[in-house]
Amino acid sequence: MAIFLRENLMMKVVSNLGLILFLTCVLVISCVGDVHALVPSPTVSSWFVNMNDFSKSAHGALSCETCHDTMKDSKKKHPDPEAAEFLKKEASRIYDYGRCKSCHRQSYERYLLGEHAKSLKQEQQKPGPEGAGEPKKEKAPTCGDCHSAHYSRSHVSRLETGREMTEVCGSCHLAQKITYLENYHGKTAVNLGDTASAYCTDCHGAHHCISLKEKKAALAACQRCHPKAQEMFTEFVIHPTTKDLTEKDKDKAGRVAVIKAVTAIMSILVILVVCFFYGHSFVWLLRELHEKLRRH
Amino acid sequence: MAENRFDGETYRRFCVLHRFLHIVVMLGFTGLALTGFSLKFSAQSWAQAVVYLLGGAGNTGYLHRFFAVITYGCVMVHVLWLGYYKVVLKGRLTGPQSLFPRLKDVSDLWEHILYFLARGSVPRFNRFTYWEKFDYLALFMGMNTMGLTGVILWFPEFFSTLMPGYFINLAQVLHLYEAIMAVALKFVVHIISTHLRPEIFPLEKSIFNGKTSEEKMKKEHPGEWEMMVGTRDQVTPTPATEAS
Repeated sequence: MAIFLRENLMMKVVSNLGLILFLTCVLVISCVGDVHALVPSPTVSSWFVNMNDFSKSAHGALSCETCHDTMKDSKKKHPDPEAAEFLKKEASRIYDYGRCKSCHRQSYERYLLGEHAKSLKQEQQKPGPEGAGEPKKEKAPTCGDCHSAHYSRSHVSRLETGREMTEVCGSCHLAQKITYLENYHGKTAVNLGDTASAYCTDCHGAHHCISLKEKKAALAACQRCHPKAQEMFTEFVIHPTTKDLTEKDKDKAGRVAVIKAVTAIMSILVILVVCFFYGHSFVWLLRELHEKLRRH
Repeated sequence: MAENRFDGETYRRFCVLHRFLHIVVMLGFTGLALTGFSLKFSAQSWAQAVVYLLGGAGNTGYLHRFFAVITYGCVMVHVLWLGYYKVVLKGRLTGPQSLFPRLKDVSDLWEHILYFLARGSVPRFNRFTYWEKFDYLALFMGMNTMGLTGVILWFPEFFSTLMPGYFINLAQVLHLYEAIMAVALKFVVHIISTHLRPEIFPLEKSIFNGKTSEEKMKKEHPGEWEMMVGTRDQVTPTPATEAS
């Protein structure tokens, strides 16, 4: 009986310890682990089309020839294994996205005015990777690099579009995505689903994709939601990263350095103070426990 | 007073105003921590659950500012009381029985650490021990700096006309790290040192009912007790710590 009771007690202690351990693990995992896996990864167009998914997409009602009329014009067999570029280049680099203009006129014209089109032009003027200049790691984006012509769905909510765009823009602008998600705008808009907050394109423009390094453009972007903002408001650093900064952006580099320095000083201060008082409390507890036990 | 009748003489340690302010600050601080950290750690599922329950990011931010106003209101009431205490009650804001830091606190801390290491005995504390002074002063200063950085974050359009825009970033950094420090200290160190350590466990009631017994006074605040006994004999009670 005594053994049974003792075992029972042991079971209780073990199960309680297990519970505490489990809760600690849950706490640690929930604090450390990143559960930001809500966003489906965008599917990219390639040489091969999944017709099931295509039929569900925004373009699902269109026939292939609406966009790919060349395959009829050339009067050659399709697919044509003899064609020079067949399967050798990325489909999205060969397709003439000028065709999108016939339906998406405004978006296309805006794209032509923006930074993405500018970098595409530079890329096309330069000779290919075999030329003198070293090959660029990141390619200038065409329509198909951000949008999936075969799989993008229509009537998607602002929140869903915003979350997807954070991933799409972030696939090239990773530092900007990370800093955006560290900022109030990203936290409320993407993580908490508050559609009153700003997604990437709300400031940078959907097809313009301007960098906002110019104060005037930045102020106009801020004032869309903060009508009372003055010029100095634009010095608020949304993306505290030095990535993609040029010689001309020394001001921003300085601001980022100050922010990082203050962050470092504060974290050291917090760690020192908290460690001192935690140690103080812990030793105190031990001492009083010792006193209590000795008295019994 | 009935429950303390048999404990010997009952002393009033905290007046009604201070007990009330403590409860309001306690609730306000907890609300601030909950809403603030839910917004800060918004990538975590627990934070998303809290924000969902509170009705979205906008509501959570609104509640955060609501709690901030209440908590800072306590600071202002307390400052007004300090003026009243000084001017009308002719009390002293400094001196051995006040919350004002003194050199004795440093030596008390050192002696107390020696006591932890079994190299001495508990120092003879006055009305407020060094950790109580730290709790009070850290919170008092913290609420002012948190209030200042918080107001900058509340009205960024206005404050960016007075200072460069990246000061908002700095306000954000200071607000975050001070919040982490405050929560790490108040929810752990404060609760352990005033409520959970074996000498007091489970609860120090004096901040809620204001009372403390002669026995506890002698043990925890011998310096103050001696002074009170001395002054009572001369019939000049101190305003804040009158014996009942």
